[in-house]
Amino acid sequence: MDRKKIVLAEDNSTLSLLLKFRLEKEGHELFMAADGKEALALIEEQLPDLIITDIMMPFISGLEVISHVRNKLELNVPIIVFSSAGQEEMVLKAFDLGANDFMGKPFSPNELVIRVKRQLN
Amino acid sequence: MIDFQILIDNFNEYPYLIKLAWVVSAILGALIILLTVYLKFVRTILRKKEANSLEFRKEYEALLIEYLYSGTEEGGISEIQKNIIEELKKHVTVKSKRKVIISVLYKLMNEVSGEVTDALKVLYKNTGLMHYALIKINSKKWHVKAKGIGELTKFKIESVQEKIEQLLVHPVREVRKEAHLYFVNLFYFEGLNFLDIIKTPLSEWDQIQILEILQKSNDQEICDIKPWLQSKNETVVLFALKLAKVYNQYEVKDELMNMLSHNSKQVRIQVIEVLTHLYGIEAKDVLKANFTQLSLEEQISFFGLLEKLVIPDDEPFVEKHLFHKDFEIQLLALKILKSINIDKYLGLNKLPPSQKSLAMLKLENV
Repeated sequence: MDRKKIVLAEDNSTLSLLLKFRLEKEGHELFMAADGKEALALIEEQLPDLIITDIMMPFISGLEVISHVRNKLELNVPIIVFSSAGQEEMVLKAFDLGANDFMGKPFSPNELVIRVKRQLN
Repeated sequence: MIDFQILIDNFNEYPYLIKLAWVVSAILGALIILLTVYLKFVRTILRKKEANSLEFRKEYEALLIEYLYSGTEEGGISEIQKNIIEELKKHVTVKSKRKVIISVLYKLMNEVSGEVTDALKVLYKNTGLMHYALIKINSKKWHVKAKGIGELTKFKIESVQEKIEQLLVHPVREVRKEAHLYFVNLFYFEGLNFLDIIKTPLSEWDQIQILEILQKSNDQEICDIKPWLQSKNETVVLFALKLAKVYNQYEVKDELMNMLSHNSKQVRIQVIEVLTHLYGIEAKDVLKANFTQLSLEEQISFFGLLEKLVIPDDEPFVEKHLFHKDFEIQLLALKILKSINIDKYLGLNKLPPSQKSLAMLKLENV
């Protein structure tokens, strides 16, 4: 299987670690960002095959990350967003900006793996 | 030394007030120096603590992830997991470390679902963290008690329900609320049995929180709400009415009809609203017959019901209240008339301004 590069932007370090472990088990290469700023730097540096981002993050939000990727970097890389309950409007905005899929928190890591596979295929 | 003696001599020659000012300044100066040193000391300790807790958090996160991914195929606890549990057991005895572990588990529980949360629950029980939560619920301090219940709720620990049951009628509202939420979070509709016994009011916010949790339940089969509709606790009745509305409880229509003469005005108003939602057409005749005895709020609610369930036969009643003393009822009556007899409604425009109601005049200017 192809080793795909994935940038994961999530400010909950435990969740990040959990997902990193799970997705690396699937054979992917993970690049972790604790906030939007770090995520943008990693995206520009690594040009990943997939971006997974939380909406609410310090410094730069997930929405700004999507906007930057689609409008400034003009990349067509698939983007999956995480959202918490009560952020339904944000999810709509994320789709407007060019997100490909979303997962509401709390979510199952196994489900994320399936969605990642679907986006990468 | 001589200079120092000169200073003392000079000081002794100063007037009393100047002396006092010098003494106060010296004391304050010493205090500032002392406090600065103390502040520096406290900050150093806090930074050290923070660094330690960050270091421990990282160490613990790694252990946690290892624990989560080293289970056996059959879903049992593997040797690696047993070792991790043993190691964590040593850490949870230290309060500061216990706090870090709980906060990490809490955060993760909020963000993931499925098999991971089940594994976290097992970890919570086996590391002895549950034991500390039980100590919390036995505390004399109400906020510690409430926190303990919250923790047991988060990790869905069913085995402590008898202990929490005793707190359902605790004198402090926050403790009671946490106990209520424990039962609803763990047992959903079956957990609502506390409504049978509570004598204290259930606030609007508590009711909203309970409804929100109930909506997360996979089993939307609601239990029998009739006993709560007859409760002596008015807030329980109001909550049961909310349940009747949210879960479309057509089977309680007869009870709702009887409740139109309930002692509480707030309940009666809510009953009319629920009957409106449940198409309680039978309520129309009863309310029409007693219309003049109803309070203004009930009359408005009834017109709300009519607006939804009106039939042409209601026209004389509606027409009679086109000139009601209340503007809202005038407006609703006009709206209803328009929906059942547009010609008559348009005919009202021909009335001279002096014979028109306030609502008619307002609508003319819209």
